Amino acid sequence: MSSFNERHALDGLQRLESQAISAIYDQYFSEVYRYVRYRINDDRTAEDIASDVFVRLLEAVQKKQGPQSSLKGWLIATASHAVNDHLRRQYRRPEEALSDAIPDGRPSIHSEVDLRDRNRMVQSAYAQLTPEQQHVLDLRFGQGYSLEETAVLLKKNINAVKALQFRALASLQRQIGEVNHE
Amino acid sequence: MNNLYEALEVCLREIERGASIEAALLRYPDLADELRPILEASVDAANIAVPLPSETAVQRNRAKVLQRAAQMREAKAKSSQRTWFVSLRRLVVTVVVLLVLSVSGTGLVRASSATVPGDNLYPVKRTWEDMLVAFTFNLQQRDALEVEHENERLQELQELFAEGRSAKVDFNGSIKSQNGNLWIVSNISVMISDQTELRGQGISVGSAVRVKGTTQGNNNIVLAEQIELLPAGAKLPDTEDEPEIQQEKHEDPVQQFEDSSNSGNGSDGERQTVEETKTPESESENNNESVEDGSNNTNTEWGSDSNLNDSHENESNDNSGSNSEDDSSLNSNDSSGGGSSYESSDGGGRDD
Repeated sequence: MSSFNERHALDGLQRLESQAISAIYDQYFSEVYRYVRYRINDDRTAEDIASDVFVRLLEAVQKKQGPQSSLKGWLIATASHAVNDHLRRQYRRPEEALSDAIPDGRPSIHSEVDLRDRNRMVQSAYAQLTPEQQHVLDLRFGQGYSLEETAVLLKKNINAVKALQFRALASLQRQIGEVNHE
Repeated sequence: MNNLYEALEVCLREIERGASIEAALLRYPDLADELRPILEASVDAANIAVPLPSETAVQRNRAKVLQRAAQMREAKAKSSQRTWFVSLRRLVVTVVVLLVLSVSGTGLVRASSATVPGDNLYPVKRTWEDMLVAFTFNLQQRDALEVEHENERLQELQELFAEGRSAKVDFNGSIKSQNGNLWIVSNISVMISDQTELRGQGISVGSAVRVKGTTQGNNNIVLAEQIELLPAGAKLPDTEDEPEIQQEKHEDPVQQFEDSSNSGNGSDGERQTVEETKTPESESENNNESVEDGSNNTNTEWGSDSNLNDSHENESNDNSGSNSEDDSSLNSNDSSGGGSSYESSDGGGRDD
C-alpha cells in the first residue's frame, strides 16, 4: 500500500479506470466500513453504506465535485452524511430501529454483565447521541485517530475537538446510566 | 474548563498507552471525580470499536463498485457519442445559416445602401447601421462611425431635395441660426410651425438638436414636427464648420424667406415682424459682410428655393454653406448646397 499515489489514483478515477478505482477502494474501504459499522449496528447495512460511499466518489469525480485536498477526509465526511441519512430514515420507522439497536434490558438487571451485553448497552446509549457527538467518538475511539487527525477531518481546531469529545463522552456516560436504569 | 478538557486528553493518551483509569487520574487528583466517569465512558466507546471487514465483504463490495463504474463508463461513452453528433449537427446548421445570411443578408444590405427615407429598403439600411455601431467595440471607431451615419442623413436629405421628394426625415445637427420660423440646422433649412414640438429648454444657436420632420416637395426645406435638444456629447455631422461662411449664410435665408413670404401667401406685416436671432460674433460679421459684399446676400443655397424666393437666376452661382470661398471648384460637388447641382447629378433611379 505504500505505493499508493493519491493524485495518480484520482486522475485514473476521473477516467473511470478499474485499476485506479480498485487501488482507492483497497486503500480506504476498511476504514470507511469501520467508521460506518461503529455507528450502525448491522454488518450488511454498514457494508452497503460503505460501498455506496465509493459509488458517490465515482459520481462526484465525474461531476468535478470530488475531493480537493484529502481523499480520506472526503470519504469519511461522505460516510458521516450517509450514516446520518440512514439513521434519519430509521427514526421514521422506529419499529425496525428498535429491533436491533435496543437491548431487551434483561441482562442489565444482573449485577455482572458480560462484555457483549455491556457493549450492546453502550451501543444503545451511543445511538442516543447527536450526529456530531457520534462522529467525534467514532473518529477518536472507533478509528483511533489522534486529536490532530480528528481536528482535520472535522475541520475544527484542536481546542474545539477537545471540548466536543468531552461533551460527547459526558453525554455517553449519562446515556449509559439511563439505559442501565431502564 | 480548558484545564478539564486538557486533563481529559492527557488521561486518554495515558490509557491508550496501557495505563489504567486510576493511574491516569493520579496526575489530576482535584479533577479525578469529575474525569473518572468520562474516562470510563471513553473505555466503553473504545470497546465497541469493530474489527476489519471480512475478506468476503471486501471482495463483494469491490465488485459492486467496479460494476457501477463499468455502467458509468458505458453511459459516458454513449453520451460523448451523442454530444459529438449534436455538435456536428449544430456545426452544419450554423454553416448553412451563415451561408444563407452572407448571400441574402449582405445582398439586401448592399441593395439598401443607396436608399433614402421613404424607400422600402430604407429601414434595412438604418438597421444595418445600428448593427455596425453595436458591434464596433473600439470607442474611437464607434464615434467615427456614428458621425459618418449622421453625415449620411444629411446626404440623404440633399438627395430628397434634389429629387423633390417628400419624406419623413430624422437627423441630428447644430443650430446655425434662428431667423424667426426658419432655422438653419447643419446647413439644412428647417421651418418651424405652431405644430412643431420643441423638446428641451434653452434651444438656441449652437445647440445640438435632433430634427424630425418632412421634406417638402421641391422646397429645399424640412418642415419640423419635433426638435429635441440633444445632450452634450451627442454625435453630429461634420460636414461644415467654417464660422465665417456660416455667418454669411445666416443672412440670406432670412432675407429670402422674407421675400418669399412677402411675394407668396403670407401677409407683409406678419413677416416683417420676424426677428433674427444670432450669436454676437455672427451679427457683427454679417453686418460687415453685407456692407463689403452685397452680392453674397443672394449667392447661397437658399437662393435655389423656388417657393421661398424669386431668385432662381442665382442658382448658377449657388454654393454650399461650407465651401463658398471655393465656389468654382466645388459647386458641382456640393454636398449640402442648392438644388440645381443635385438635379443635374443625381437623377438616377432608386432601389426600392
